[in-house]
Amino acid sequence: MDVGITKEWAWGGATGAGIGVAVIDSGVDPGHPDVRSVERAIALSWDPDEEEVRYDEGPHEDLFGHGTACAGIIRRAAPECDIWSVRVLGERLSGKGVVFAAGLRWAIEQGARVINLSLSTGREDYYGLFHEIADEAFFAGAVLVCAVNNVPAPTYPGQFASVISVAAHDGTDPFTIDCNPTPPVEFGAPGIDIPVPWLNGRTIRSTGNSFAAPHVTGLVARLLSKHPHLTPYDVKTVLRAVADNARLPEQDHG
Amino acid sequence: MPDDLLRDLRRTATDLGPAVMPVGTESLLRALTETARQLFGAAACSLALLTDDETELVFTTAAGQGADDVTGLRIPATQGIAGWVVSSGQPIAISDLASDPRFARNVAEQTGYVPQAILAVPVVSSRRMLGVMSLLDRDTRRPEADQDMRLLALFADQAAIALESVRAFGDLGRVLLTAVAEADSATPDLAAAARRIADEAPGADADLAALAATFATLARRGAPERRLARGVLEQVAAYVERRSPRTR
Repeated sequence: MDVGITKEWAWGGATGAGIGVAVIDSGVDPGHPDVRSVERAIALSWDPDEEEVRYDEGPHEDLFGHGTACAGIIRRAAPECDIWSVRVLGERLSGKGVVFAAGLRWAIEQGARVINLSLSTGREDYYGLFHEIADEAFFAGAVLVCAVNNVPAPTYPGQFASVISVAAHDGTDPFTIDCNPTPPVEFGAPGIDIPVPWLNGRTIRSTGNSFAAPHVTGLVARLLSKHPHLTPYDVKTVLRAVADNARLPEQDHG
Repeated sequence: MPDDLLRDLRRTATDLGPAVMPVGTESLLRALTETARQLFGAAACSLALLTDDETELVFTTAAGQGADDVTGLRIPATQGIAGWVVSSGQPIAISDLASDPRFARNVAEQTGYVPQAILAVPVVSSRRMLGVMSLLDRDTRRPEADQDMRLLALFADQAAIALESVRAFGDLGRVLLTAVAEADSATPDLAAAARRIADEAPGADADLAALAATFATLARRGAPERRLARGVLEQVAAYVERRSPRTR
């Protein structure tokens, strides 16, 4: 597809500076050398006694390592973006769908421009709630980047048309993405046996769609720092235009 | 239909459910893990299921290295790689586990086998997260090994189907009344009553369910075993009846 949009136009010279990127995950370790800094941190959890979501703003640790992995991957493409750690996973499983939704809403309301979701739910009960939130994000100008699951059944919000859904391909270059002609999975990014930051300052080799999504998140942050007025709709158009399997080699100068 | 009748129906079905439960779920799950282990050329394959309160994962089935030690092991549902999988619903593979000395020591203490690599996928039904299926040290030089995550997810789906069917028999009363409620939209009062009664009572009594299942196992062996079981039960019941006044 030749529409005059190249990688150079999209993000050449950009760093992601000034763009708030929310990582909805297990927390982010700001001390990891690949993460370096976390600008905002909030931990959400389900209070079974009060039957409501608790919001604890302030530093927290990563309970699994996964949020740190995502933040480190995002930094590869957008070294100067603002990482917001929105911890929704790890304390308990009960109420996790509600906590996940609340964390997502918090990030949208606080003005995050890109939101990385490496988690999803297949529960039909949440279809309506997540559809509503995906619409809120779209109209607020927040780009939701979702790791798709490998299961054949639909998962939310990754299934919805307004989000950017990502699966792993076997490349390693963080600036190389593919588009998928047969949605709902729309994009492919590196996520197979790649080095990712983990707990205790370590780096491990890991595989999963949940590592592909943050590559795209980083690229979107980089794109928005250069072109801040793009809407989620525009962002998806640009990603399609710069996808490697949609371009001729001579089009690329980025 | 009066509520009492619906309650009786629910109780009868719940008590009888385990007796008509399909046999062999445990062997099916064992066969699934062993087949997966061999197909993927893995050192071990295991299935860990969430407890009802979702606070722990229990390793119910395992094949291969460390299988005896890992079976029955309980771990918190919000820790480690298995915890990540059931929390996020996302599969994950890690190929250099042993590089983390703390991980290696913890696992070695629990199972006697320290893997280099793990592939873990969620076991999930359309209604709930059930657990996690894990492969340790699979042979990644096999052709098509890059499809392993997707393939293991198919095994996990099989496990989920078997587990959901067992759960349905274990809680037959609730399942039955929920079905009545969903089918009978023409008479809203009955549908509402069925739904309410399906929800309000607890699930099957674990002791009764186990008793019914044991009796069903005996009954499938033939008429003499059925008569024997019935005779023993009647004797026990008569004995309990005779001695109960003294225990009051």
